Amino acid sequence: MKVWPVTVLLACTLVPSAAGLAAAVFAGANLDALAAVLQAPGVPRAMLLSLWTGGIATILSLGLAHALVAMAVTGGWRQRLTTLSLPLLALPHLALGIGLVLVLAPSGLLMRGISPWLSGLDMPPDWHIVRDPAGLTLIFGLVIKETCFLIMALFAALAQVPVAPRLQRAASLGYGPLKGWLVTIAPSCQQQIGLPVAAVFVYGVGNVDLALTLGPDLPPTFAVILWRWLLDPSPLIQSQAHAGTVLLLVLTLFGLLGLWAAGRACRALVSAISVGGRRQRRVRPARIGLSGVAVIGWVVGGLAIVAIGLRSAGGLWRFPAVLPNGLSFTSWQSSFSTALSTLPMTAGLAVMSTLVALVLVLLGAEQVRTNPLRRQQLGQWLFVPLLLPQMTFLFGVQVLLVWIGIDGTALAVTWMHLIFVLPYMWGVLAPARAAVDPRYEQRVASLGVNRWSGWWRVTRPLLTRAMLLSCALGASVSLSLYLPTLFAGAGRIATAATEAAAAAGAGTLRLAAVHGILLSLGPLCAFSAAYGLGAVLYRHRKDVP
Amino acid sequence: MLVFDNVTLSVGNRPLFPSLSAEVSAGDTLCLVGPSGVGKSSVLNYACGFLPDDIEGAGEITLEGQAITQLPPNERQLGRLFQDALLFPHLSVAQNIAFGLAAGGSKRERLATVADALERCGLAGFEDRDPASLSGGQRARVALMQVLLAEPKALLLDEPFSALDRATRQTVRKLVFREARTRQLPVVLVTHDPDDVQAAGGRSIQLGSG
Repeated sequence: MKVWPVTVLLACTLVPSAAGLAAAVFAGANLDALAAVLQAPGVPRAMLLSLWTGGIATILSLGLAHALVAMAVTGGWRQRLTTLSLPLLALPHLALGIGLVLVLAPSGLLMRGISPWLSGLDMPPDWHIVRDPAGLTLIFGLVIKETCFLIMALFAALAQVPVAPRLQRAASLGYGPLKGWLVTIAPSCQQQIGLPVAAVFVYGVGNVDLALTLGPDLPPTFAVILWRWLLDPSPLIQSQAHAGTVLLLVLTLFGLLGLWAAGRACRALVSAISVGGRRQRRVRPARIGLSGVAVIGWVVGGLAIVAIGLRSAGGLWRFPAVLPNGLSFTSWQSSFSTALSTLPMTAGLAVMSTLVALVLVLLGAEQVRTNPLRRQQLGQWLFVPLLLPQMTFLFGVQVLLVWIGIDGTALAVTWMHLIFVLPYMWGVLAPARAAVDPRYEQRVASLGVNRWSGWWRVTRPLLTRAMLLSCALGASVSLSLYLPTLFAGAGRIATAATEAAAAAGAGTLRLAAVHGILLSLGPLCAFSAAYGLGAVLYRHRKDVP
Repeated sequence: MLVFDNVTLSVGNRPLFPSLSAEVSAGDTLCLVGPSGVGKSSVLNYACGFLPDDIEGAGEITLEGQAITQLPPNERQLGRLFQDALLFPHLSVAQNIAFGLAAGGSKRERLATVADALERCGLAGFEDRDPASLSGGQRARVALMQVLLAEPKALLLDEPFSALDRATRQTVRKLVFREARTRQLPVVLVTHDPDDVQAAGGRSIQLGSG
């Protein structure tokens, strides 16, 4: 009774992770196929491109997240930063990718905004902005998404760091806020956000969602090559793809090793800076610069959402008109039936995986509520699937699902969604549960109320807002999952994400925009409901978290 | 009567204090005094069934002749008050007090009981207030009424007056001891304050060297 919630949680996550990894390595460890992969045109460059885009995006996101959180905490706009980050965090990668194409492309919103009055252009220029060979747009897209993710991870890590006393102490020694942050707070946080940073890198190297829409094409990133191979009906290409997933794993591990070495070097650098004696009290230029970067990120992110809406519902839209020539719902009419047919499955998967995860996370968090070490360890184990390249892991899981005989079923897809939803929901709910004063339990017992009734009558209300937020996050994660749905569903389960990816892959931007809108609406509704209900419930009770 | 029979607490093999044996009669108060960290609150935790994993407890505690250390915490019938009132923040003042009431009775009877309890502690008219809007003394009084309505057979007080200012402390202390005597409840009070010991009748046990 005492152990089973944690055991079930771990079994849900680790069994498929380990089995998937083993199956992928076993099925892919074919020397001939490996050699064929390496000799395939563009593969070595694609591998380098994956490392480059994933690595640079991770470093930029981490630096930006640290700087923005430091500025927000010391400048008193922490809540504003959280509020601004959540919508972009909830926006599915695919939707953001489609939106960014519509904003940044030579015929995109940005260029229309300055044409012809500033650029002097009457036709879209022949520039390689989106899908540029160096993957800069892909890096930009990744940075927008992952900075928000790392900001949230940093805020969670800060809960265990005495921020105010340390910064006050640094200030009393004459250090400016940014330098004070760098030498007193950042090293403590860094260890705690090691796993999220690794997850960002792994996603950056192995993602298909963003690379498909924003990444280079000749050659694309390695993950996109593998994705194309996996969709190829030829057994020869398929075996090449299986071998490629093993190579992707090796590539990711290699990259992680490099990231770890870079982290060590950074730590040594920060140590050296710490004892250098320079106070760096002037923060205004940095504050202005960072605010500018943040504003650009959020404005472009916001424009991406607007652009999806305009593209999906707009009629004829000649360059350089900023707005389409009236409304046209042709795309909606043509894709409405597809959208409607995927809606029950999309929503059903989100609801099922979120509800199961909610129950499991609540039970697990209840069990480790008084043991911070076990809570942290459990969180780390749940994070494991996010540290594996999705292609490798999911291909292995697919082998496992075929072996069990449930591949291509809603049950298999729900299970896969559950695996990816769990770490996010745990990240929100477990700390919230631990923050509930443990003496309430004693108080409830001293009033003659048993533990579960006490949980329902006292702990549950105190967790309501955290539960709503974690459910919104869980549902958003589930809605955005493309590869897990594709692999576990064996191509037979269609959701908004799979339809959006198919449309984006086929280059039909208007149709992709329609699905992008549907994909964005889900998280928007989920978070609006969570915030709305959270604001209404217990609105007259000041001390309810 | 509440009896502590050879109660010892230890961390690893190190006992926190020599064994505690004491009897507290109905309406009487026993004060546990001693330096911080000696295990005074842990004695109450042991009695209530909430000893942390790193502390080992031994010895029996009996309440009205019944051994309670093996009972589930909610069946021990020990009312406990903490340093801060720990009212449930999502409930109104009246709902907090009603939380302690046993199930049964009509809604009107329950409301009347709650109103009577509020009247007795000088908080009539506070039914719908948010606990966060109350002063420390008012919260302490609500917490006491909440505990008393659960009809415990003994009261365990864990420095419940220490967070209050001097004047409020006297008022709340008087109310607590009056209610305990009226209901003939044995009381164990953990305190650092000699005034508390005096107000409780002067009977105290020193835990550890002090």
